[in-house]
Amino acid sequence: MARRPSFPSPTALRRRRDRRAERLLANRAVANALVSLAGLVGRPVRISGGSEVGRLADLVARWDGQPYPPITGAVLRVGRRLAYVPAEQIADVNRAGIELRSARFSLREFDRRPGEVLLAGDVLDHQLVDVDGVRVVRASDLYLARVVDGWRLVGVDVGYQSLLRRLGPTRWRARPTPDRVIDWAAIQPFGVDPGPIRLRRENRELSRLHPSELADILEELGRTERHELLDTLEPDSAADVLEEMEPDELRTLLRDLPPARVAQLLGAMEPDEAADALRDLDDDELHEVFSAMTPAVASQLRPLLAFPESTAGGLMTTRLLVARCDDRVADVQAEVSRADDRHDLAAVVAVDDDGRVIDDIPVVDLLVADPDQRVEELVSETEPITVLATAPFSDVVDRLIDTRHTSVLVVDDDQRPMGRILADDVIDALVPTRGRHRLHVRHS
Amino acid sequence: MIQPFTRLVGRRRRRVVALLAILGPGVIAANAGNDAGGIATYASAGAQFAYRTLFLMVLVTVALVVVQEMSARLGAYSGEGLVSLIREQFSLRIASFAVVCLVVANLGLVVSEFAGIGAGFELFGVSRYLAVPIAAVVIWAVVVLGTYRYAERVFLLLSVAFLAYPVALILGSPDWGQVASNTVLPHFVASHGFLVLAVALVGTTITPYMQLYQAAAVVDRGIGPDDYPRERLDSVGGAIFANLISVCIIIATAAAIGGHGPLASADQAARALEPVAGSGAFALFAVGLLGASALAAAVVPLSTAYGLTEAVGAERSVSRRISEAPLFVGLFTVQVAVGAAVALIPGNLIKLLINTQILNGVITPIILAFILVLANRRSLLGDAVNSPRFRAVATVSVVGVSALALTVVAQTVLGWLGVG
Repeated sequence: MARRPSFPSPTALRRRRDRRAERLLANRAVANALVSLAGLVGRPVRISGGSEVGRLADLVARWDGQPYPPITGAVLRVGRRLAYVPAEQIADVNRAGIELRSARFSLREFDRRPGEVLLAGDVLDHQLVDVDGVRVVRASDLYLARVVDGWRLVGVDVGYQSLLRRLGPTRWRARPTPDRVIDWAAIQPFGVDPGPIRLRRENRELSRLHPSELADILEELGRTERHELLDTLEPDSAADVLEEMEPDELRTLLRDLPPARVAQLLGAMEPDEAADALRDLDDDELHEVFSAMTPAVASQLRPLLAFPESTAGGLMTTRLLVARCDDRVADVQAEVSRADDRHDLAAVVAVDDDGRVIDDIPVVDLLVADPDQRVEELVSETEPITVLATAPFSDVVDRLIDTRHTSVLVVDDDQRPMGRILADDVIDALVPTRGRHRLHVRHS
Repeated sequence: MIQPFTRLVGRRRRRVVALLAILGPGVIAANAGNDAGGIATYASAGAQFAYRTLFLMVLVTVALVVVQEMSARLGAYSGEGLVSLIREQFSLRIASFAVVCLVVANLGLVVSEFAGIGAGFELFGVSRYLAVPIAAVVIWAVVVLGTYRYAERVFLLLSVAFLAYPVALILGSPDWGQVASNTVLPHFVASHGFLVLAVALVGTTITPYMQLYQAAAVVDRGIGPDDYPRERLDSVGGAIFANLISVCIIIATAAAIGGHGPLASADQAARALEPVAGSGAFALFAVGLLGASALAAAVVPLSTAYGLTEAVGAERSVSRRISEAPLFVGLFTVQVAVGAAVALIPGNLIKLLINTQILNGVITPIILAFILVLANRRSLLGDAVNSPRFRAVATVSVVGVSALALTVVAQTVLGWLGVG
C-alpha cells in the first residue's frame, strides 16, 4: 500500500485522451471517411446500383480481441420483419446507407454468436469505460471506418454536439461531428457473452488502471456492467479494486455476488479489509460466505471479526512475519524477499521461546544486518511499540503519534503478537468517507 | 474502509439508527410532493368540498405507492436512473423530450417553492427579502458541500415539519363520523369545480420529479437488490406517510373552514384558519409550509440535475465534488439561484413560471408509461419484474393518472384560448 504509483492529474489524463483522439482525427482522410452509426440506422439498404430492399436496423460487430472490432453483419428491416445479412454480402457502407453485393442473399434471423454485439441496440447510448480518461462514458455516437479488410468500429463519440445532431432531422444525423471522440482502442465495452478471446484484451487495457481508478469506475457503473467488469478482472486485481471501494458500495456489491465468488475475492483481499467488508453482514450471510471459503482464509478472518471495528483488533491485519530469537538473519531475510506484500511489511516481529514479543525490528534494519547474525543480536534496547487488541482506536492513534512509527504491533494479554496496524490504515480510518480517493488526487 | 467514530455508538442506539436508516429516498421523494403547491391544493380541497375528496385520496395513495415502488425497484435492480434507462432501452429523442419538459416544469416548481418559503416566513413576520436568499444559500450548501447521506439526513429532518399537520388536525376536532364515511365511500360531487380540483389533487400528488428523484437517489445511495426489501419499506411507507399528511391537511381545513370556497395559496390557508381554529393552527400550518417548501426546493432541482445529466450521459451524484460533477452541480446551482431570484421579483414573472408546471401534465403520462413498461421487462429486472397482479394494478393506476394529467393540460390550454 505504501508504494502506489501516483495518480495522474486530470490535465495529464486529458492530454493522454486528446493525443489518442488527435491521432485518430489527424488524418483528414480518416475524419472524412468516418461513418456515423446513429446516422446510418434507418437509412436505405440497396442492392448495388439498384433498388432498395429495406432499411438498416442495426449493425453487428464482434469483440475479437483486436483494438478495432470488425463489422460482421447487418440487421435489416424488410417490411415488418428483421433479417440478417453477413458482412461478406455488404459491398459498401457510406453515409447514405449500405449497399449489398447482389440480390441473392438469404433473409435469416439474426442469431447472436459468441462475442457479437448489436451496435445500435447494445452499445450506442450505453455505458462504456474510457480507459485513457479513467471514467465512465455514455456513447453519443459510434464511428465506423473502412480499413484494409473491411469495416471496423474505430471510435466512440461522447460529445454533446453529437447528441444534439441526433435530435435534429434525419438529414443532419448522417454528418459526423467528431468533437469529443475516443479511440475505440481505449474503450472497455460491455454487453458481450464472455468469450475466452475477449478476456485477454480487456485485461491488458484495464491493467493500466490503478485499483483506485477502477474502484471509482465500478462505483459509477450500472449493476450489470459492474458485474461484467468485475468478472473480467483476475481475482487478485479484483481484490485490490474492492479494497479501494467505498464501504457501502462494497457491501452492496458483495451481497449481490454468489457466495463462492465473494469467498474467493475476500481470500485475495488484505485480511483487515476483508474483515471490514464482512462486518455488516448478518449471521446467515456470514455462514454462507465462510462455508464457501478455504479453511485457511476462514481461520484468518474469523478472529478479526471477534473484535469491534473501533478497537485495535478490528483494525489490524493478521499478516505478520514472526522470527524467533535464535533464527539466523539470513533465513529471515529470505522470508522477507519471498513475502507477497513486501511493502506492507513494515517490520519483523522478534519473539522469545514462549512466543512473546521482544522487539519489532524494522525491515530496513534487518536487511542491512549481517546475514550471519542471530535475530537476538538485532533486538534494541527500546520497548517495542505495541497495543492490546482490545485497545480503543484512539490509543492506536496516540501510540503512532507519540512514537512517529509507521506501524504498531497488536498483542494479546500475554504479549503474543496478533497483528499489525499500518499508519495508512489509521489515516483511512481518520479521514471520513471518500477520504481515500481524495488523498490520491491530492498528492498528485 | 473503517469509520470508527460512527461505530463507537452503543448497541441500542444502533438499533434506532438501523430503523431510521431504512428511511431515505422514498420518504423524501413522496414528501416533497406535499410542497407549497400541494398544501394549497389540499387546503383548498378541504375548504371547498369539506371531506368529499377523501375517497379520491385513497385511490391516489394506491397509485402513488405503486408508481414510487416501481421507480425504486428499477433504480435498485438496474443501478441506473430513469432517464438513463429510457435512453438505453428506448430512444434518445424521447429521453431528451422528457428532460426538456422536466427542466422547464421543474424551474416553475422551484420558483413556487421559494415563494412558499418567503410566504411561510412572512407569516411569522420575517421579510421574504431576507429569508429567501438565506434559505437558498443554506439549501445549496447542504446539497453541494455535503455527501448524499448528509443531505438526506437534513431532508428527513425537514420532513418532521409535516407532523405539524396531524397536530393541526387534532386541534381542529373534525367530525370523525364524516371522515370515516367519506374515506370508505365515494362522495363525489357532480360539478365542474370538483372535477378541476380532483384533477389538481392527482397532479400535485404524483409528479414526475418524484419518480426521477426516487430512482436516482436509490442509485446514488448504492442500494442494490439485496437491500431492496428495506428500500421497498421506505418507498411504500414514504408514499403512504406523505398521503396521510395530505389527508390531514384536507381534514384540518375541512373541519375549520369547510365549505368556504377555494383558496389560492398555502399561506392563505393558514390565514383563513387563524380566526376559526386559533393561532395554534395558524402556526402549525406555517411551520408545515416552511418545512415542505424547503424540502421541495432542494429535491426538485436535484431531480432536474439527475434527469439532465442522465440524458447527456454525464451522470454523477450528490456525493461527488464540484470538480468531479460540474454539470450536475452547475444545474443544481442555477435552478436554486434562478428559483430564489424569480420568487423575489414582484410582478407577473412568477405567475408565468408557475404556469410552466403545466408541462408536468405532458410528461407525467410519458414517464409513468415508461416506468410501467420498464418494470414489466424481464430482460431488465429478472425475477424482480412486475407480477401479473401487480401489473394489473399498476396499469390501471398509470392509465388513470395519465388520463387525469392530460385533462389538466387540455383544461389549461383551453383556458388560455378563452374556452372553458
